[in-house]
Amino acid sequence: MKPDIDRFLEVATVHLMTQIAPALGTGYEQSNVNIMAMMLMAVREEFDRAAARRVEENRALRHLFGDAAPAVRDTELRQRLETAAQDEDTSFTVSDLERSNGVLRGLLIELHAHVEELDSPAARRIEADIWRELVASTERRRLMMGPF
Amino acid sequence: MAELKSQLATYLAHRLPHAEELEVTAIDRIFGGASRETYRFALSYRTGGETVSRRLILRRDPPGSLIETERAVEFEAYRAFFGTAVPVPEPLWLEEETHWLDYPFFIMQELHGFESSPQLIIAPPYAEHANKLAQQKWTILGEISKADPAALGLDRVMQPVAPERCWQRELAHWEKSLNEDELCPQPVLRAAIRWLRRHPPPPAQKISVVHADYRTGNFLYDTAGHIHAILDWEMAHLGDPLEDLAWGLNPVWCWAHDGRVGGLVGRDEAIRIWERASGLHADPAALRWWEVFSSVKGQAIWVSSAKEFTAGKNQDIILALSAWLMHNSQDRAMLAELGHLS
Repeated sequence: MKPDIDRFLEVATVHLMTQIAPALGTGYEQSNVNIMAMMLMAVREEFDRAAARRVEENRALRHLFGDAAPAVRDTELRQRLETAAQDEDTSFTVSDLERSNGVLRGLLIELHAHVEELDSPAARRIEADIWRELVASTERRRLMMGPF
Repeated sequence: MAELKSQLATYLAHRLPHAEELEVTAIDRIFGGASRETYRFALSYRTGGETVSRRLILRRDPPGSLIETERAVEFEAYRAFFGTAVPVPEPLWLEEETHWLDYPFFIMQELHGFESSPQLIIAPPYAEHANKLAQQKWTILGEISKADPAALGLDRVMQPVAPERCWQRELAHWEKSLNEDELCPQPVLRAAIRWLRRHPPPPAQKISVVHADYRTGNFLYDTAGHIHAILDWEMAHLGDPLEDLAWGLNPVWCWAHDGRVGGLVGRDEAIRIWERASGLHADPAALRWWEVFSSVKGQAIWVSSAKEFTAGKNQDIILALSAWLMHNSQDRAMLAELGHLS
């Protein structure tokens, strides 16, 4: 699509903030339009990376599950981790990637809760890997306008 | 808006039976406030040969609310603190019947000409008064923490809680909210909840009134660095005073990105002012628990805002903004409070 989507969003944001919002006077409607313009800026930031960050995160989680599975004592959970580790994304639409990301992050919660209860060097190593991945997950999702 | 104006005039005529020539004008919705619709308006009428003019605020329940709260508790909190060292607008009428304005509401005094924005406070002309504003902000919170809920009459409208049960009640409340509203798995949040359950805090040193949303953004200030009112008491309850202190210290309110909590002063100074004003102690281990909890609670609120907007129950744009703007920052705050992010 030309003009590029990020360029359109940039122009639309400026138009809303400098042309439309001031014409509404002060008040609720103007605030709403300014907020929508801010949100278009966030959409612009997210649009370019939306598929890439999900592909990267899904791969990282599957890799983590493959590493962690041998130390997991719960047989059923270990099998699900092994299955997930061998899986891969075949559709790269954002909605499909988001769906598989949700499944993988749900499994990550189960793995995290499980290894917290284990008393072994392997469990501590997996736990450290999980925390590193959680920090990385927030780096992937950072928005310029976010406060922290 | 014309219908609301007419409904309001009818209601106020009912409340002020001796008023003549009663008129509601200049009604305007105020942006923000996801748990109640907020409007400002002017009321004028004649009584005893004199004309009375007042600027008022209407806080009305929306069809879907970000935070399920009791308006009576909010109204009573304003009533309890009005005229004390904790500045609040004068509350006037609470109405729980729905036939007047379609939803329950209350009306209070408007304090006009002040600012509340957490972004503006870090810029001129307000920024030069940061220390003065911080002294007042944390001293007022100390006054809230120090106050006797029974002497204020708030023990009649707020649920009682034992000092050793404060943390369990609050955590259970927000975990339930999260379980009901979660749209996708939250691994950081779930890990933080498990940590909170493994490391319970000591019992509260006293049972205080907890404002529960005490932060820059919820008070009115002026260009001379004076705070005129503490607003948004919709989540107020009885509990551990450290809950309020921790909420105000949360990194997601550091809009200046320089470590000053609420854009005003550093964390240690804020705690020092609060301790001096309240006469209470901020035990570091207990405060840490409440700080992690504050991020769990914050995240539960952002999760609910996403759910409300997605479900179409309430599509106020502030709900979508809250979810987008705050969710990842709140996760990062949790990671920092748990010691995994510097």
